[in-house]
Amino acid sequence: MSEIRTTAEPRLARAIHAKAAHCGYPAAANFELTPRCNFNCKMCYVHLSKEEQERRGRELTAAEWIDLGRQACEAGVVFLLLTGGEPTLRPDFPEIYRALKKIGLMISVNSNGFLLRGELLELFQNDPPYRINLSLYGVSNETYADLCGIPAYDRIVENIHALRQAGVDVKLNMSLTDANRKDMQAVYETAVKLGVHTQAASYMFPPVRVTGEFGKGFRMSAEEAAQCEISYNRLRMDDEQFLRYAKNLEEGIPNESTDDCEGQVGSEMRCRAGRSSFWLSWDGKLSPCGMLPEPGVNVLETGLQAAWEQVRDRVREIRLPAKCTTCPYRHGCHVCAAMCYCETGSYDTAPDYVCRLTRHSFLLAAEEAAKIGGSHEEKA
Amino acid sequence: MKKKLDFVLREIAGDLLLVPTGKTALDLNGMLTLNEVGGEIWKMLDEVESEEEIVDRLLEDYDVERAVLQGDVREFLDKLRELGIL
Repeated sequence: MSEIRTTAEPRLARAIHAKAAHCGYPAAANFELTPRCNFNCKMCYVHLSKEEQERRGRELTAAEWIDLGRQACEAGVVFLLLTGGEPTLRPDFPEIYRALKKIGLMISVNSNGFLLRGELLELFQNDPPYRINLSLYGVSNETYADLCGIPAYDRIVENIHALRQAGVDVKLNMSLTDANRKDMQAVYETAVKLGVHTQAASYMFPPVRVTGEFGKGFRMSAEEAAQCEISYNRLRMDDEQFLRYAKNLEEGIPNESTDDCEGQVGSEMRCRAGRSSFWLSWDGKLSPCGMLPEPGVNVLETGLQAAWEQVRDRVREIRLPAKCTTCPYRHGCHVCAAMCYCETGSYDTAPDYVCRLTRHSFLLAAEEAAKIGGSHEEKA
Repeated sequence: MKKKLDFVLREIAGDLLLVPTGKTALDLNGMLTLNEVGGEIWKMLDEVESEEEIVDRLLEDYDVERAVLQGDVREFLDKLRELGIL
């Protein structure tokens, strides 16, 4: 069976981030090249129509992105994620990509995969990225039509095969909602067959940047999201691994994070956002992460280094909910500053949805562990 | 000496990193770190013809026995060959 690694990050990257956070410079940047997309996913936190995008502001030009890449390099950035919307929708995507790669950035690309053929496949074949993070939302055209408004499955799987044949490193991400949770196991099995990294997320951030509304979005109930999280962990772990995972939850021991954010509960922000990484929105506003619209410092006015310093200093002032620091579930909770903000509108209020999700996942993990234990006893 | 793979040498907060460019990621999809002397050797690779020339150049800046330096340079170059870089 193909091996699936659920944490794809090498130790060197972790060391680089740790040093950057300690010294106060950014090691990673996220360039959101556009909020536009050829899909219309119900849970998206950023997608704007062309008309709405133009009403809100202008996208930065290729020359501006390339110059910002140079400034990011000077500031210390090594890892760069090109994201969107769908970044490959921009006709000048290859120009931006090639120029940024040439200056010594480890580039990853977020994509829905629909356009990754023809010239773009050739681009990635001849000048491969560190990785393409490709969203795979289901295993049928029907699921795609329902969730994303486009029956794209067959075409995307063809594109993934072509990328893999070209030797390009692909990671599959699955965002779970009511519309596609039925496909979760099949997506995982597809990833295993393809021999690629995979990661599923059952928590969907409220799309505050799009709607301006806190705590609302197209997503499952907290309890259903917990069910998906535990079911996904059950899929990717064998009996022994799952029993250890459940035991750690029960005994208050943090499990190894499979989340790039690596959030921790309580006191200051401990994830990478604003400590060793930043997000630059399509209209040139610098924030700690893509889920947060604030502080949104305009890089064209202030320059990237000064904008980074403002955001970094702002993040140092943020305090997470005091309630979380004594919570008995904190070692198994994914809460972060962005979740608090998007759920409640403030950083220091514990988000009820996340609390319920966490509590329920503890309960389900214990139940599942008991089932595994029971079946082992029967066999014995 | 001819490098077979393309990298950009980055210096970040005192660390030296080799970041793959072009098609290099197909053969080696990750970064390499160098120490100070490794960085010196890397910078001169395109200009030198032999290991001895590297040793000669380094002896101008480092106070070390020639035999020791020869061993270190060979080890470094062997590592690059092992990775398919030289």
